[in-house]
Amino acid sequence: MQLQSGLGKRYLLDMPMMYQACEVKNELDKVNRIYSILGGKKAGLITKIQTKLMQVRDIKGSIKNLKANMVLDDIELFEIKSFALVSYEILQLQAEFETTLIEIPDLNSVISILDPENNKIPSFYIYDAYSRELARVRKEIKELKAAIKANPEKHTDQNLEALQSHSEEVEAEVRAEICEKLYPYASELENALNQVAHLDVITAKAILAESMAFTRAQISESGTEYKAMFHPQIRETLALSKRNFQPINIRLNHSVCFITGANMAGKTVILKTLALCQYLLQFGFFVPAQSAQIALVDRILVSVGDDQSEQNGLSSFASEMVKINEMVEASIQKEIVLVLVDELARTTNPTEGRAIVNAVAEIFNENQTLSVITTHYSGLDSRCRKLRVKGLDKEFKPGEINKNNINDYMDYSLIEDDATKVPHEALRIAGILGINHQIIEKANKNLLKPEGFEIKEEETKSYI
Amino acid sequence: MPFIKEIEKYKSLSIVGLEKNTGKTECLNYVLSRLSDSTKQIALTSIGVDGENTDVVTQTHKPEIEVYEGMIFVTSELHYQKKQLVAEVLDVSTQSTSLGRLVTAKAKSSDKVMISGPASNVAIKDLISQMRNFNVDITLVDGALSRKSLGSPAVTDAMILATGAALSANIPQLVYKTNYTYDLISLKAVDDESKERLLPIQKGIWAINDEGNLIDLEIESVLLIEKAKDRLFKQGNRIFVNGAITDKFLNFLRVQKHIKEIEIIVRDFTRIFASPETYYAFIKRGGSIKVLQKTKLIAVCINPVSPDGYCLNSDELKQAMEDKLKLPVYDVRKLAN
Repeated sequence: MQLQSGLGKRYLLDMPMMYQACEVKNELDKVNRIYSILGGKKAGLITKIQTKLMQVRDIKGSIKNLKANMVLDDIELFEIKSFALVSYEILQLQAEFETTLIEIPDLNSVISILDPENNKIPSFYIYDAYSRELARVRKEIKELKAAIKANPEKHTDQNLEALQSHSEEVEAEVRAEICEKLYPYASELENALNQVAHLDVITAKAILAESMAFTRAQISESGTEYKAMFHPQIRETLALSKRNFQPINIRLNHSVCFITGANMAGKTVILKTLALCQYLLQFGFFVPAQSAQIALVDRILVSVGDDQSEQNGLSSFASEMVKINEMVEASIQKEIVLVLVDELARTTNPTEGRAIVNAVAEIFNENQTLSVITTHYSGLDSRCRKLRVKGLDKEFKPGEINKNNINDYMDYSLIEDDATKVPHEALRIAGILGINHQIIEKANKNLLKPEGFEIKEEETKSYI
Repeated sequence: MPFIKEIEKYKSLSIVGLEKNTGKTECLNYVLSRLSDSTKQIALTSIGVDGENTDVVTQTHKPEIEVYEGMIFVTSELHYQKKQLVAEVLDVSTQSTSLGRLVTAKAKSSDKVMISGPASNVAIKDLISQMRNFNVDITLVDGALSRKSLGSPAVTDAMILATGAALSANIPQLVYKTNYTYDLISLKAVDDESKERLLPIQKGIWAINDEGNLIDLEIESVLLIEKAKDRLFKQGNRIFVNGAITDKFLNFLRVQKHIKEIEIIVRDFTRIFASPETYYAFIKRGGSIKVLQKTKLIAVCINPVSPDGYCLNSDELKQAMEDKLKLPVYDVRKLAN
């Protein structure tokens, strides 16, 4: 992201996740204002604003001191003046657009307090113009110094010291007066600082959206749907080797959605992209998709990857169950969550695993929890929606595909699937990946053995 | 004094003392007072801290630097707060030094200020180029040759050396030592192309082979040369050393058979920490040293008084120095008038 100021960076990092539709909409409206300008003739003005944003200084500390009624030093006053001037210039640039990008308070009064000679340059000191007394004393000091230089024996240093200390006193008084005059503007300054930081962030968001082809999502009341959703990071990596990322369409309701499919068919990426889009929306960004209607949630619960840890005393299964437990509890409490689980219960024996998957799915369905579960298990609860990744749909000549080009032959799109059995592509994929063919041969033989038959019969019996 | 005219030709000038109490600050004050009359915009800073009221080590009175109305100066926040003169803040740096951020200000009256500028070469170079934004014609840098400083005054175009009795209470010795520094400053620079390629290299020892390629010898410094002696000349006889050159290193090189073909390249003359004897012996045997950054020495200032109170004969010293260096030499105490 192209943030121009440290201030902007901090604003972005401090931004909370938004849960209210109106909050999200507000932020997206602002981003949209800039986004629409970027495509038009006035795009150059945005670059000018960015240049100004680069000059913004973080004066939080000085404002705090001002609010506490403390007297600021020359350097702090310089920084406040410099900020007020930049802020004013940004305001003027904004005026050239039809709509206001963001409300920034007019700090002209602050500028005039710190610019008694009306120079409008970003430099500061306690100007002579502030006080006639000060101007007078300074002049006297100068004359006295010149006289001392011309005639060192005639004058003593005492006069000079007295004058200098008087000058310092007057300066201090003037400084205190300046700070008193600025005091009422402290909250406006704070507001301006905040708004300018916000402007930096929304500009960066808009530019990000434009460069990565993100779009503005609509907030939905019922379910979530994406058209041509993609994972921006993976897409960029693929582009480096001149490959394309196949964007996919997906619709989710407030219920369970299973995703099955061969290995390497992109199921985990789908989950990660769903999580990414949800977070992006709720932090006020545009999303990586051609169009999107997204339901807002209070939490996103994800279980992808292995949290096995000898340190915590948890095995793969245990750590997964802990996560699933959190999800189930949230579901039972009827919390508004998005649940994403990769290969639920793969960490234990298939019979119990499948039972767990169905149990969890039942609970999610009962509580209308927006959830996506990927799995390899067959015999899933038929009441649940099932999507399948197409995968290696066609027939290929042996040796045509290998582990380096397998991604080019994959069809990553999702189709609704009613079949009770999941695709059995594992051995086929393993073969393509170049795994030692002994494994493939022996495994294939095992599938045809009598025990294999028995298991199959059981499968079909219990899930009709 | 004629050397002021000479100064005005350069964009940056450093005033460097060979030893503490050699009159560097008096020299700087003199230069500033003379430049205050000129129409040029002057900027002033220092490498690291300077301007202590009394020299902590020797307890001799150290005057602070006198800044004139209209001059731009760059000092740390800490010292800016303590100033007595009236000054207009022009800029505050975003980076911090150990004494706070650097404040660039324009003096609105004349008075003494403590100047503490950036401490690294990169920072000083940046500062000098930033001064262009304020229409500065010449930047003066109060320099230091101490080993503790990361910044080398050789980043400026020109230099004035301050030397004196503090370095040695014996005139021939003093001339000899000063002449040594002068010879180092006069070392030839490498060609522009090599300079461009070597400048960004921040550490280690590299060789330049016959085809002109740069090869990292993977020797961290000359202090670790013991273990790597055999590797040193495998790739050629032109060696670039990033860090310091020591007596030990030069002595090692001196006894090599192919000494006449050896060329050592250093960043600038301040990286040579060898004694004059070792250095001259190395040169006599046919070795050569070149620098990346060369600065021009335009004058030498002498302070005949040592911190112990010993006073050398000013005229004698001045004459001996001028004869040896063939450069204008000025007595700082006489300059003040």
